[in-house]
Amino acid sequence: MDILISGVGGQGTILASKILACAMMLDGHNARTGETIGMSQRGGCVVSHVRSDANSPYIPLGKADMLLSFELCEGARNLPFLKKGGVAVINTAKITPLTVALGASTYDEDAIRAAITARSDAHFIDANAAAAEIGSVKAVNTLLVGAACGLGLLDIRRESILEAIRMNVAPKFHELNERAFAAGEALVRK
Amino acid sequence: MKQIQLGNGAIALGAIAAGVKVVTGYPGTPSTEVLQTVAKYNKDKSINVEWSTNEKAALEVAAGASYCGLRTMVTMKQVGLNVASDPLMSLIYIGIKGGMVVLVADDPGPISSQTEQDTRHFAEYANLPVLDPSSPEEAYEMTKYAFDLSERVGLPVIVRPTTKVCHASAPIESDAPRYEYTLEGFVKDPKWCIFPPLAYRRHVEIERQQTEISAEFDKISFNRIEGSGTLGIAAGGVTYAIARDVIDELGLDVTLLKVGAAFPAPEGLETEFIKKANAILVLEELDAVIENQLFHVAGKKHLSLMIQGKHNGFVPSAGELKYDTVRSLIAGFAGVQLPKSEAALPSDLKLPARPPVLCAGCPHRASFYAVKLAAKKSGKKAVYCGDIGCYTLGNAKPLETTDTCLCMGGGITVAQGIAKAEPDTLPFAFVGDSTFFASGMTGIANAVYNNNKITVIILDNSTTAMTGHQPHPGIGKTMMDTQSEKISIEAVVRALNVKFVERCNPLELDKAVDTVKRAYESDGVSVVIFESPCIALVKPDKACEIVDCIGCMRCVKEIGCPAIYIEDGKAKINDTLCTGCGLCKQVCKAKRIH
Repeated sequence: MDILISGVGGQGTILASKILACAMMLDGHNARTGETIGMSQRGGCVVSHVRSDANSPYIPLGKADMLLSFELCEGARNLPFLKKGGVAVINTAKITPLTVALGASTYDEDAIRAAITARSDAHFIDANAAAAEIGSVKAVNTLLVGAACGLGLLDIRRESILEAIRMNVAPKFHELNERAFAAGEALVRK
Repeated sequence: MKQIQLGNGAIALGAIAAGVKVVTGYPGTPSTEVLQTVAKYNKDKSINVEWSTNEKAALEVAAGASYCGLRTMVTMKQVGLNVASDPLMSLIYIGIKGGMVVLVADDPGPISSQTEQDTRHFAEYANLPVLDPSSPEEAYEMTKYAFDLSERVGLPVIVRPTTKVCHASAPIESDAPRYEYTLEGFVKDPKWCIFPPLAYRRHVEIERQQTEISAEFDKISFNRIEGSGTLGIAAGGVTYAIARDVIDELGLDVTLLKVGAAFPAPEGLETEFIKKANAILVLEELDAVIENQLFHVAGKKHLSLMIQGKHNGFVPSAGELKYDTVRSLIAGFAGVQLPKSEAALPSDLKLPARPPVLCAGCPHRASFYAVKLAAKKSGKKAVYCGDIGCYTLGNAKPLETTDTCLCMGGGITVAQGIAKAEPDTLPFAFVGDSTFFASGMTGIANAVYNNNKITVIILDNSTTAMTGHQPHPGIGKTMMDTQSEKISIEAVVRALNVKFVERCNPLELDKAVDTVKRAYESDGVSVVIFESPCIALVKPDKACEIVDCIGCMRCVKEIGCPAIYIEDGKAKINDTLCTGCGLCKQVCKAKRIH
């Protein structure tokens, strides 16, 4: 099972990746991830590769079973990793890069959505709004993990993900993150 | 219990299991999390962990502890090894007592570095054993082995992961029993003082040891031959893991030589490999280390061989070897036709570029902007000499206030050279607070001593931000959870005889501009210390708000804050990003930002 997580530095993609890998491990798989840490943290593009039962921590192009994007255009940017017709769970919240305001590039939301829809089994959700509703935009990462899980297509047990959340989040935030996870599941089941 | 750990965490846990007692280092991507993880798993404080002021200091502290018989580890990135190379080269001749691991993370790409230097080559130059892990699991095992090897041969051992091992994660044993031993303490002996006759004797011994270690590297499991077939592929580091997956995916019958302990070369194993293979493909990132070894062994043993590698241009000589590159290289070598891949994106889809930027509310933005405005008033050509840190991002539009960037501390001294060559320019040097302590102080002393008139802008954001917020001497917080007296940057600069020294909040724009102007107008070397904490350290203020924007775009064009975006020709503020720093309010001439 290969899951590619994409987003913008600072959005909390690494925690989501850690939770999914930890859950895979709890299910008895040889889990591994490949992260982007460093310069791109500063508002640049970030991706996390989450894999079970492979040697290399990086997903080949066209092989990811699921693309989980924390930001709209970053979802499109990483479509080449997704297998044809694979599942794309896309947060519709936009983070417009500075290059757009400076006139050096454009952010064409409709074209981006169309490209994602044409290539994948796309699920667009406003995860930021949903996270704000349950109390904190910061919980958007566990909410998106909930959405990824809620489709019922991941080869990971729900209980393992919940246990992984408890293992990787400070105890005082367990309750918030469990609610965020459930809210994510509910969003894709509507 | 196993936990998902980064490769860097795996190295830390391997060192803890091996009984490491002193860990020193200087932050640098992709190595930083190694030392941090040791500190995290050091609840009983039985391991002495420190962020040293730079890599040279780190290596020397560890050497002293190792002389006493403690197991030690020093952590750094590849360019940090350049700084530590002076003590390391001599330490090889002195030797060590307690096992010593020098953890040097290389960065193919490069992703977060100035160079693509290959530490395996450094190890060869220095006659030091080097281990090159292919995964977090192997990094854990190699680190444990490295301590044992180091103690047996009396030499430091380099463990050299690359970014894709450092920042990959896998399940790792997190509470293995720790190797126990008793401290012998420092035993006085002439062998601890380096003198030419001793150096000669040691050199003879070091050369002799190479053969012994090479023989051991023929047998350890980190080096091995897998599979069969007359096509041979040799690979090291993470490229081995990728090659393994590709070979399995394509169902190829090949002989795969895995080189995990790269120097001294496992010549016996390499000879066996050359004899098995009719044609050889060498896959390795950075330099052609394994490839050179194969040529060398073949020459020594009079074996003929045909290598597809970096030397004949078959394998790229720079950059990362990603899965798809390795796949097409292996397919090309083995004569396998790969199916044509379909384009995943419509060719006319334009995606916005998203380069890394200074964060919204970053005080460096205000500092750069103030210096730029002040410099304009001089009517002279200003040259902005930058340095290593988040503030290297000052080179981007619209600030464009980083004209040069060389190495840690280099901005201060490069600016002096520009001042000598072109006295009519206005040379500015920028340096961060952590970099100031690492290697900025000597450069300022040089400027004062040699009367090289420059203006140094110290960007004091109370942390080592780029690598993830490590403390430093100006903060006083230590990795042992104690608080030392903070070293005042201002007091240090004054002690260096700089006459113009002023501290200033860069977010007070007019005052900041005036301070910089008075600095460069003063006689001699001048220093402005811009003090404002990194946004990651403080709670944000209320977000700014734009009311009735007139659409002049001044805020966007002048300061380029990522929290400001344009909608229908008007500037708007993304209030999840805005920290309320207020710089845009001071820039908006129409006074529409509140």
